[in-house]
Amino acid sequence: MDNKSRARLIHLLISKSMAEALLIAAVAVGFYFATTNPNLRGVLDDADASWVTGWAVDESNPGARVEVQLFIDDVFAGDATASQYRPDVHNAKRADDDWHGFAFRTPPLSRGEHQARVYAVHANSAGARRTLQLIGKAYKFTID
Amino acid sequence: MATVTELGSETGIPGDRALAGWEIASLFSSALIGEWILSAAAGGTKLIVLIPIAFAFFLVISSHALRKESLRDLGIRFDNFLPALKLLALPMIVVAAICVGLGLIFGTRPNLSRWHPERQIGAQLALGFAWGFVQQYVLQSFINRRAQIIWQKGVVSVVVTAMIFSLLHFPNPWLMLVTLVGGLVWAFVYQRAPNLFALALSHSLMTWILVSTLPISALNHLRIGFKYFA
Repeated sequence: MDNKSRARLIHLLISKSMAEALLIAAVAVGFYFATTNPNLRGVLDDADASWVTGWAVDESNPGARVEVQLFIDDVFAGDATASQYRPDVHNAKRADDDWHGFAFRTPPLSRGEHQARVYAVHANSAGARRTLQLIGKAYKFTID
Repeated sequence: MATVTELGSETGIPGDRALAGWEIASLFSSALIGEWILSAAAGGTKLIVLIPIAFAFFLVISSHALRKESLRDLGIRFDNFLPALKLLALPMIVVAAICVGLGLIFGTRPNLSRWHPERQIGAQLALGFAWGFVQQYVLQSFINRRAQIIWQKGVVSVVVTAMIFSLLHFPNPWLMLVTLVGGLVWAFVYQRAPNLFALALSHSLMTWILVSTLPISALNHLRIGFKYFA
């Protein structure tokens, strides 16, 4: 194999590596947007022995109601639509109307410390994937 | 000891052995990208997996041209078809007998129509031959030949070729085992009688026997890469 052919082969190998790196980067970005909605906002405000409450808004579609799921101590505890009356969210200009709150009735729990997490359900455009995104932060509470 | 021209030259251009290793690594990376990254991330758009495959084939074909390898060199020829088949016959019979035995031990009776039962067996064998030809072309005409540039003809290049073939079937344990055995036989035969038609025929028949004899649950529908977990 002469040096000219060898140099061509090296250029080809480098070009292939670069093209594959770009392909992986593009797929990673596409995968992120297919499985994540960067416009979801919300807060888990309060959790106690009776209720878990908060709000959730999709800022890319502020009139839509967001589907949310409650997990307590990492165990699924229920799902709901964030469509409860929360005028403070509207007043804070986070939503177009007053109806983006959620309120879950807390299931029976043992005494001691527990942790509540609320996730927004996100479906990609093809509906092939449904993923969960944490709303706000996990909320620790105690049952006496 | 490797000489300067084997590993590199005064011009800074890598030598043939280093370049052959780079080519094998590049092809292997394309397969891993397709099997592990794109098939996991693609969702419903499975066609995206064809992109790294296209890159790989562009590399393989360009490499043949730059190295001035003829079709005859690669094993696309008929003059040594029967000698290659003769070399393949005994290992195929032995492996087929082992597969039937293992299947019976695991309580699976041989069923020759289990391989895509919706298709006629002749059509399935023809498709298997075509798919086997493609796999053997890449495995032998590219990986085996590049391995021979690095380690010459012999045990090391045969084992390396077989191990690469087996690793490409990770994490399916049964398939990794049978592709290691098949890879050893096919790489050995290719080095003595390079004929891709005989190897593709063997590949197709052995896949048929494998699917017809071993439990489907063990083979996990021949899934590999990320799809193995699907």
